[in-house]
Amino acid sequence: MDISLIVSNILNPPILFFFLGMTAVFVKSDLEIPAPMPKLFSLYLLFAIGFKGGVELIKSGVTQEVVLTLAAAMMMACVVPIYTFFILKWKLDTYDAAAIAATYGSISAVTFITASAFLTELGIAFDGYMVAALALMESPAIIVGLILVNIFTNDGKREFSWPEVLQEAFLNSSVFLLVGSLLIGVLTGEHGWKVLEPFTQGLFYGVLTFFLLDMGLVAARRIKDLQKTGVFLILFAILIPILNAGIGLAIAKFIGMPRGDSLLFAVLCASASYIAVPAAMRMTVPEANPSLYVSTALAVTFPFNIIVGIPLYLYGINLFWR
Amino acid sequence: MHVVKKIEIIANSFELAKILDSLDKSGVHSHAVIRNVAGKGLRGTTEDLDMTMLDNVYILAFCMPEQLKPVVENIKPLLNKFGGTCYVSDVMEIRSVRCVASM
Repeated sequence: MDISLIVSNILNPPILFFFLGMTAVFVKSDLEIPAPMPKLFSLYLLFAIGFKGGVELIKSGVTQEVVLTLAAAMMMACVVPIYTFFILKWKLDTYDAAAIAATYGSISAVTFITASAFLTELGIAFDGYMVAALALMESPAIIVGLILVNIFTNDGKREFSWPEVLQEAFLNSSVFLLVGSLLIGVLTGEHGWKVLEPFTQGLFYGVLTFFLLDMGLVAARRIKDLQKTGVFLILFAILIPILNAGIGLAIAKFIGMPRGDSLLFAVLCASASYIAVPAAMRMTVPEANPSLYVSTALAVTFPFNIIVGIPLYLYGINLFWR
Repeated sequence: MHVVKKIEIIANSFELAKILDSLDKSGVHSHAVIRNVAGKGLRGTTEDLDMTMLDNVYILAFCMPEQLKPVVENIKPLLNKFGGTCYVSDVMEIRSVRCVASM
């Protein structure tokens, strides 16, 4: 594998600031981002990426390629939790297996945004409608996870408040803002983009960098929880993204996606949710241990994907897309 | 001055709506919420969802002593399911009978 890809990825300011955040925790610095700020950054990133995606979507139009890509995204969001659940069932109980499976079936918007930044850095084009795939992949895993709990728990059928579950799955703040911004981008098009460009484009990388600094702090704090998860889950959190990305790349190749879109699709398949799904699982499957599903997603899979995963998947694309 | 019950709840913001709804159903319609509460072990669990979209909240409410039973009945299942802690104490309320603002 071309090490220069990893090096050029690591030498990006957002990734270096992620390391800086982790370092701050390891050396016991008192660096702390005031609590409401990361939430604001997170909402800004969803708003900006959603809006940009909507503008790009109206430019490209709804073609057969778009429909195929979105269908593949939905399929992966439903299938990934099923096979990961059975892998996890070897070592874990149904509740933990289902919660982790749902976490890995869903996506991480920040990993996607980091991959977009990486592609922009390398000058590789990608289509804006991939944001629609991002929005579509956030929620189905929650539903699949709950269905798995329903089927495999021994205490009979659990009673979920399905309206509440569906509301949390499809109307949680991140999905709502992302889809809403996407629709506003579609409605306002190029004119809207010009009006908001200083905010949605000019500030974007600065906010992403600051957000990753905070993510570094949070991920490093979560590392101590990995003592509870054991070697199996740590290995799972590294190997399952590679497997999911591999399947994603095979589908992308089959559909005929261009290189940039293929990388984003692979990253969506490989990433794990640490915002929407943990919140939904907490509400619907309180028996599952958050130390397991939050720590693996946030302290192992997220850093792995943004540091090694993204260049690794691009290396795979460069091998097979010739 | 007269005795009222002070209810203090520390929970995750994710359960905030449910807790406030339960207080409302119990006849406690006024409350104060302090967000982004940091601390250790006060939520009745060592697990803290240290994430970008979820924070801990501190809920402060007051009720008359006779209202306390339904509050406990409604809040207890939520704390049992999601974690979090609830403290009840006796406090004195100073109620102004000649408040200038209301005259």
